[in-house]
Amino acid sequence: MSAEAEQQVKLVSSDNVEIVTERKIAERSMLIKNMIEDLGSPGEEPIPIMNVSEAVLRKVLEWCTHHKNDPAPTQDDDADSRKKTTDIEDWDQKFMQVDQEMLFEIILAANYMDIKALLDVGCKTVANMIKGKSPEEIRKTFNIQNDFTPEEEDQIRRENEWAEDR
Amino acid sequence: MSKSTMAIPPPPLPTSKDDINGTWKYLEWGVDQIMSHLDNGVDLRTYMSLYTSIHNFCTAQKAVGSTHLNSNHRGAHLLGEELYHRLNEHLKRHLQGVHAEMVQHADEALLTYYIQQWKRYTTAGTYNNHLFRYLNRHWVKREMDEGKKDIYDIYTLHLVRWKEDMFGSTQNAVMDAVLRLVEKQRNGETIEQSKVKQVVDSFVALGIDEADSTKTNLDVYRQYFEKPYIEATQKFYENESAAFLAENSVVDYMKKAERRLDEEKERVPLYLLPEIMQPLMKCCETALIAKHAALMRDEFQILLDNDREEDMARMYKLLARIPDGLEPLRNRFENHVRRAGLLAVDKVATEGEKLDPKAYVDALLEVHTQYAALVQTAFTGESEFVRSLDNACREYVNRNKVCQKNSSRSPELLAKHADNVLKRSTKATEEDDMEKMLNQVMTVFKYLEDKDVFQKFYSQTLAKRLVHGTSASPDAETSMISKLKDASGFEYTNKLQRMFQDMQTSKDLNTTYEEWCIATFEKEDRKEGVDATYQILGTGFWPLTPPTTTFVPPPTIVKTYERFQNFYTHKHGGRKLTWLWHLCKGEIRTNFAKMNKVPYTLQVSTYQMAILLLFNDSDTVSYDDMANTTMLQKETLDPSLGIILKAKVLTASPEGAPPQSGTTYTLNHGFKSKKLKVNLNMAIKAEQKQEAEDTHKTIEEDRKMLMQSAIVRIMKSRKRMKHSELVSETISQIKNRFSPKVADIKKCIDILLEKEYLERLDDNELGYLA
Repeated sequence: MSAEAEQQVKLVSSDNVEIVTERKIAERSMLIKNMIEDLGSPGEEPIPIMNVSEAVLRKVLEWCTHHKNDPAPTQDDDADSRKKTTDIEDWDQKFMQVDQEMLFEIILAANYMDIKALLDVGCKTVANMIKGKSPEEIRKTFNIQNDFTPEEEDQIRRENEWAEDR
Repeated sequence: MSKSTMAIPPPPLPTSKDDINGTWKYLEWGVDQIMSHLDNGVDLRTYMSLYTSIHNFCTAQKAVGSTHLNSNHRGAHLLGEELYHRLNEHLKRHLQGVHAEMVQHADEALLTYYIQQWKRYTTAGTYNNHLFRYLNRHWVKREMDEGKKDIYDIYTLHLVRWKEDMFGSTQNAVMDAVLRLVEKQRNGETIEQSKVKQVVDSFVALGIDEADSTKTNLDVYRQYFEKPYIEATQKFYENESAAFLAENSVVDYMKKAERRLDEEKERVPLYLLPEIMQPLMKCCETALIAKHAALMRDEFQILLDNDREEDMARMYKLLARIPDGLEPLRNRFENHVRRAGLLAVDKVATEGEKLDPKAYVDALLEVHTQYAALVQTAFTGESEFVRSLDNACREYVNRNKVCQKNSSRSPELLAKHADNVLKRSTKATEEDDMEKMLNQVMTVFKYLEDKDVFQKFYSQTLAKRLVHGTSASPDAETSMISKLKDASGFEYTNKLQRMFQDMQTSKDLNTTYEEWCIATFEKEDRKEGVDATYQILGTGFWPLTPPTTTFVPPPTIVKTYERFQNFYTHKHGGRKLTWLWHLCKGEIRTNFAKMNKVPYTLQVSTYQMAILLLFNDSDTVSYDDMANTTMLQKETLDPSLGIILKAKVLTASPEGAPPQSGTTYTLNHGFKSKKLKVNLNMAIKAEQKQEAEDTHKTIEEDRKMLMQSAIVRIMKSRKRMKHSELVSETISQIKNRFSPKVADIKKCIDILLEKEYLERLDDNELGYLA
């Protein structure tokens, strides 16, 4: 097992850059883990990570390296702990201190590569950016254009009145 | 699928993310590669492309604007439904092809094909499940979270399709093939067991829980595998056993059945699920045992008669497996043992009145020993069989030919046997043997119903052993009493233990007496007495009665016994001493026999002593003088004298004259004996018999007392009670002593009513009067 874990695998980013990493690190991605399970160890053959650019892939692998020894998540805490809290551990918080574009790229990559824990951290980070802000502030933060008509806005406000702070 | 090893070139990758047709075209090619050409391998790039195209389709932005806000509250719109349904349709079509091929096969070929296709299909299923993981994670998850029962994750979708499009129409034929294979194995052929195992696994995998498709259950397996498997098994063994029994003996059949049951059990871990064990065994037991139980039971008597232990053990093991299988066996066993016991007693009973206690007890024991051993070896010492054995033994011990006239013969003979064992005999008994024999006595004792009778006779013989000092070993005596105490309680042995205590107290008393004599009398004075030891026996504890005859002790011992009497009354004022002369004995040294230089010593009873001491004054004494001086009554005098005459210490004149007035007796100066010590103190036969009869008579009286005291005891604690309840309570308290008759208990109740211990109340109740 340990021999397998210490194997090297070669990943290729969407912009055709080869990155060599430990198999154990790469297998934080369920996509890669399942693929190796199905097709066997790729050896020297590079694995194309078609939707992720070099910069993002490196960032993702940095996260995977740090978390390579985390226990695999179980079905149970999938449901509970994740939803309850927007707490993020320090290292992850620092890791997520990137520009917005990179943040979204990481989230997309985590979703694509099926790295649940990273996806969670990304989404929590975004959630924390929204928390406590007014619609206007949120629009400003994420550079969103308000495409509602005043009537539509009114309707939504009425429908969601129950959730307003008083 | 060898006919199409040529790889079909891939269609172009979808150009646009939300192009369902382009995406599906590419995916369909990929899925088909995996389903049908997996042995060609799938390269990394294709694998990743397939995954990516699904991901891209599902994350396409096409939803924006196409659905409106208030259409639902699902939040983000998830794509993928189209892919799911197209895959579903594709699997249907694929399985149609496989099914068409499947029905071309039959029997083992079908089995092979089924297994091969199942393996291929499920392997492809795991691949597809991984490739469609993005769909699983989002669209499928959402659908399932919303409670849609007909949407499954992609792997389960594969199973569902197989179950519906393949399994339903093929499982019958597959199962037939499996059952034929198993039948072949039962008939001794070698089969590929792994095939059955794989079918089992396939059936188990198809057990998708309808309530929660992420879970599996054994429903499919139970209905389509276990049920037909068990039915076929039952039929197979019903046919086989009927055919076998038609041509073979029951004994041989049992061997076969045993072997078959083992085989079936061993088969389970080879290729079946452990869950089948219980119903399978039950079905085999029904077909192999229960159906033929009557036949086996009929054979049981023959096996018993011929001591076929091994076959009986086999029968026991077989019948033990079916419900209520053993009860009829136990009944037959019980009857058989009872008959054997009665037969054994009949054999020894022919000796009539002079029945040797040992022969009788041995006969009882022999049967018990034989069948107790059988219970252990053949019936695994099962407690119900032990009970049957006990019932049978209780019957033949208490109700046999010897007890026909008098039900207390068994306890009497057992007590006599115990006496013979415990009495000192010429042959020294090893401690182990003694213990063994005592245990044998206890074995029979356990079965006695009239334990009170045994107690009577035992205490009498014990008294004699103690008084005459004929006990073989005090340890053995103590051991026996403690055994009796364990079996019947403290009260039962209380008197026996008190007798022992008296013996010890007497020993101490003799020492004290000696010291007292030394302190009280001058040396010369002491010489006037005779050396003697005394035993003080408590009246209530010893089964002894005062002598029936009048008696004047000879003057020689008068001073001696008066001295002791003085000492004793002085020490224990208020106690009354009764001399049991008939139990006393002594030794007399003779000097009349001129033929021998060394004088003879005669061991005599006190009565004989009184007779012989008369000859110190005169060589000839008349019968009348004898009777007048000793005051002994004729019934005692004549037999005591008889033994002296028989030993030729005295001679009668006229020669051979009966003991009566006018006969005279002369000392035989020519007396000769091989031994220097001559024992004239022999128990008189008639006396012994009389004693036994008396004992039997007192038993009835004692029983009445026992019943009355039990009744009073019960009433004292209950205060009031129904008549019938009192009777049954009394029986339960007394039955370990003897089996009381209801009529006797009623009589005792009447006596107690008369004596005003009890009173009649309303409603058939009785009340206790303090």
